[in-house]
Amino acid sequence: MIAETHHDEVAIQGGPLPEILLPTNCPGCGIALVMDNLRTHNYVCTECGHHFRLGADVWISLIADNGSWQERWSDVRSHDLLDWTVPKPYQETVERLLEDGLNEAVRTGTCTLSGRPIWLATFDFGFVGGTLSIVAGERLARGMEQAAASGIPYILVSASGGARMQEGVLALMQLAKVNAAVGRLHSARVPYFSILTDPTFGGTAASLALVADINIAEPGAAIGFTGPRVIKQATYADLPPGFQSAEFQLAHGQVDMVLPRTELRPLLAHLLEMYR
Amino acid sequence: MSVWEIVELARHQDRPYSLDYIRRLAPDFIELHGDRLSADDPALIGGVGTWHGRTTIFLGHQKGRSLKERVARNWGMMHPEGYRKALRLAHHAAKFGFPIVSLIDTPGAYPGAGAEERGIAAAIAHAIMDWFRIPVPIVAAVIGEGGSGGALGMGVADRVIMLENSIYSVASPEAAASIVWRDNSRKVEAAEQLQLTSREILAMGVVEEVVPEPPGSASADYDAAARSLDEALYRHLQPLLEQTATQLLQHRYDRFRYIDSLVHAEPHIGPKID
Repeated sequence: MIAETHHDEVAIQGGPLPEILLPTNCPGCGIALVMDNLRTHNYVCTECGHHFRLGADVWISLIADNGSWQERWSDVRSHDLLDWTVPKPYQETVERLLEDGLNEAVRTGTCTLSGRPIWLATFDFGFVGGTLSIVAGERLARGMEQAAASGIPYILVSASGGARMQEGVLALMQLAKVNAAVGRLHSARVPYFSILTDPTFGGTAASLALVADINIAEPGAAIGFTGPRVIKQATYADLPPGFQSAEFQLAHGQVDMVLPRTELRPLLAHLLEMYR
Repeated sequence: MSVWEIVELARHQDRPYSLDYIRRLAPDFIELHGDRLSADDPALIGGVGTWHGRTTIFLGHQKGRSLKERVARNWGMMHPEGYRKALRLAHHAAKFGFPIVSLIDTPGAYPGAGAEERGIAAAIAHAIMDWFRIPVPIVAAVIGEGGSGGALGMGVADRVIMLENSIYSVASPEAAASIVWRDNSRKVEAAEQLQLTSREILAMGVVEEVVPEPPGSASADYDAAARSLDEALYRHLQPLLEQTATQLLQHRYDRFRYIDSLVHAEPHIGPKID
């Protein structure tokens, strides 16, 4: 007899999802969008399967069991280290985003998923393009160290343009800082699952996002190191349709699967069961 | 000198490249090739030589001088195979207990379609992660350009030093201008904002030392530049030779884990520590 999986018993969301800003029509198929329908389908177009980009607040509601989220180190703040003034003062950019309710490019904390404790970290593309900064790196490394020490599985959701230019070489050093911490997870034999969403590029792809035990990409997500604009500028190459898509990365051996967002939570619940 | 003049000096075609240094540090250097999977990346030199009486693994980005050589070396921009070759030789060094010297001189990893198809992001990511498990001393020096993840993929070491007229940056000034201004002609402003000169990088606590260059820069006197680099690298290596593997790996972890601690030390300019 084949044992039944727990898939059906896990809701597609941990709790009700916050509303997001949506266009009136789907960019994938042009259908008129209805907020309530999309919200209950994890912001995946019911007609064409287009996956809308989500902020950290939505990802937390989507993955964490309702009411289980405990955020950590939310008071760690970015500062203008390099006195970056042009074309926009960096300090002002950061302060405006904080006022808008975004708290850096990475938020992290603990929660449960289908009753099992996890560490969760999620990038927010809305905060300076989800760029890896000192604060982002600090939150990631601290969470990974605690997950490694306590044996609690670590789940990452990435959406990032790479390292943050306005923090200079110290932003680059975050790649080493977080990957050293990923090494701790692996040495401690703690499961690490990475969910790559649109877009995941540069220093984030070249550090923690692609070195998990299982790499899961969202359909149609753009994933790569160098962005297509820069590749064209540097090499004058014509890039084929679908270049650097999640499906391209699956075909090139970089991710384990391309999975619709509506199936993500049941899959994670099942993985947590298998890798307990 | 202006910041842009330093950038131009760091990139100058008369500047000594990795092989110019390695042949002076270890005249018996033997180059070793290939990643044992599919290819050999000519943008990264690797091999073994005797340095201060000790067998040592040398790695270094290699640029070319003539157009033909530059094309052959791909301007020192590595493909995924280069990072896999580097890690193969790192494990080789670990097997025999040889220390590793890594010389950094690259505009960045290769920004081309082929590199993407063969997994350049994952190759760099795995390299950065795996360097933290290599239980032998590693000393690195930025000798020209330290560009982005392509440089850091070869720059996870126990000590990192920079030559006076070298640069180290999160992205090349052109790429940073393209990202921040959407206009790569703003490269001079980007270079000034990035704080990429050796003195600025030292002040941020990212490297241990800036090695002075001979009068007229390293280009003017390869032998003198190589002597200064040799002396500094060996001085940094010596205390590492006394450490156990466990100590080395713990200190390497701490070096990068707290590399932004100068920022943390000043609460008003950095993240608050719990």
